[in-house]
Amino acid sequence: MSGCEGGSCSTCGGQEPSEERLPPGMLRRYDLNQSTAEGTLVWVELSDGVPTRCSLEMLSQARRMTDGRVFAVLFGPGGLKSVYVDLFAHGADTVYHVRDACLESYHPEAYCDAIASVCERVNPAVVLVAASPRGREVAPRLASTLRSGLCADCTGLEMDGRNLVATRPAFGGNILARIGYTQYPQIATVREGTFPTEPVAGRTGTAIYWQCPRPETKEILEEKAKDAASADICDARILIAVGNGIRDRSLVELAGRIAERIGGALCCSRPVADKGWLPRSVQVGMSGRNVKPNVYIALGISGSVQHRAGMSGSVKVIAVNPDPEAPIHGESDLSLLCDAGPVLRSMARSLGLDQ
Amino acid sequence: MRFLVAVKQVPDTSAMRVDADGNLVRQGVPSILDPYCETALCRILDTRVPGDEVAVFTMGPPQAESCLRRCLDLGADRAFLITDRDLGGSDTWATARAVSAFVERHCPDADLLVFGRQTIDGGTGQVPYEVAQLLDRQQFAYVTDLSIGDGGIEATQDYGDSLRRCKVPVRSVVSFGEVDLKGRLCSIADHIRAGERSVVKIDRVGLGLGVYSVGLKGSTTRIEGTSVVKGERKCRKVRIENPDRAVELIFDMVGVKG
Repeated sequence: MSGCEGGSCSTCGGQEPSEERLPPGMLRRYDLNQSTAEGTLVWVELSDGVPTRCSLEMLSQARRMTDGRVFAVLFGPGGLKSVYVDLFAHGADTVYHVRDACLESYHPEAYCDAIASVCERVNPAVVLVAASPRGREVAPRLASTLRSGLCADCTGLEMDGRNLVATRPAFGGNILARIGYTQYPQIATVREGTFPTEPVAGRTGTAIYWQCPRPETKEILEEKAKDAASADICDARILIAVGNGIRDRSLVELAGRIAERIGGALCCSRPVADKGWLPRSVQVGMSGRNVKPNVYIALGISGSVQHRAGMSGSVKVIAVNPDPEAPIHGESDLSLLCDAGPVLRSMARSLGLDQ
Repeated sequence: MRFLVAVKQVPDTSAMRVDADGNLVRQGVPSILDPYCETALCRILDTRVPGDEVAVFTMGPPQAESCLRRCLDLGADRAFLITDRDLGGSDTWATARAVSAFVERHCPDADLLVFGRQTIDGGTGQVPYEVAQLLDRQQFAYVTDLSIGDGGIEATQDYGDSLRRCKVPVRSVVSFGEVDLKGRLCSIADHIRAGERSVVKIDRVGLGLGVYSVGLKGSTTRIEGTSVVKGERKCRKVRIENPDRAVELIFDMVGVKG
């Protein structure tokens, strides 16, 4: 082939370049084998028939970071019209609603297969899944099904064209690692509270019922709802966090009552949840949740890197810990070097709570 | 029943310190058997009945053998170490691929594949479910209780907002959600027996995987860069003698009147 440019010669002019007709090196130059993946797909989890906050946050972020299409996948029974409206408002263009009677309860294998089948159809460049217990279970299986990469617990997502660069804290938050992908779709799990929601009232979109062939389901013998924590710690303006420095279980209960009185919520570090004094749902940190309250009051928390990763987004931090070397003091605006127990009792007294 | 338990050697993150520049000091940090993995193994050792076999495996550098020794001390019967320079730099997908190749080649008859929910160093918790998909097995996450009876295996799973009990088909992947701080003491008999057992080493060729399927080359994610997080806190320290003074300072900042 002649070394022409711009298709002016008779040999190649006016013809679409095809793979076999290209000279050596051309294939790589134009990267004709590159994937055509485009758009963002979000798995929307429902809780009591409404989308979880994290799902809406991911939709908003998907809308913000790309101009491409935003798809949502949803599992549930019929009659979810109000949910569609919510999803469209937060940025979804197309909602794929998997409406299969046997998928109304959660089955990781079948959910993964269904999401993968939607992925095959829409060929998204990015798939976002909430870093919730179920999301953390489905996302790896999905990544493996699609032979793709997964970055867990992202705290930041940026697009470089169609390429996603995810930021995640490594080694408990001291280092932020920027993760890139070698395959499409690029899958990421996102923790709740990472992105703001931006609903736009009146946005519209398309909803499609999606059928999946013969879903593989487990044999569930019994399922019962657990009492969720009374107040959601991600929404709380003020958080009182108790750690291993609180030696007495009754003080934990007292801290809960103080939190309630001052309009906040109670959370804890891992040792307290490990002891079973508070449920996992209120544990802050790498293996718990990410919180960003206005004021975070850490009582008797030493501040392991894992814990700090979960609370470093707080606006103000007050740490109460007698050890001046405790790492929590490096992450606090005000460090009070004293035992947390007497402080809690004194707080209760000044608020007029009986102990 | 034949159990196969996956374990990992991790740096003891609770012993990690941060230097003046905010960088993580990794030198001199002891390596331990990951507590989640240890809990999973102990749960299995507690459920076993005579005749059951418990095998453990790990993937890591040659020195990861010490964590397998610990597993043998705890009462495991067999131990495998997947180690090869080519496997270095694996992301979760490349790890899952190596692990599933190992299971298919070396322990295809395992009745239950057992993992911890995550490890304390990476904390991604992806490998169990990627392995489950690659082997086309069912997965049971956040298991708090596993019972094996005449009616088969049953698992209780804790999803945070709900508890459920499921029937577990043989050959499933199970991951335990909890970590047990109490730990387990090794019996002297187990310790003596452990000395007689050897750790089987398996390299990349033993897995039947090509160079481009494993390690950095087989990974689907790559680290583009890292940056150190610098705190911008005031770090005002006040030594408190009277707790009432502390409460005053706290309420002042929160904007609550006592």
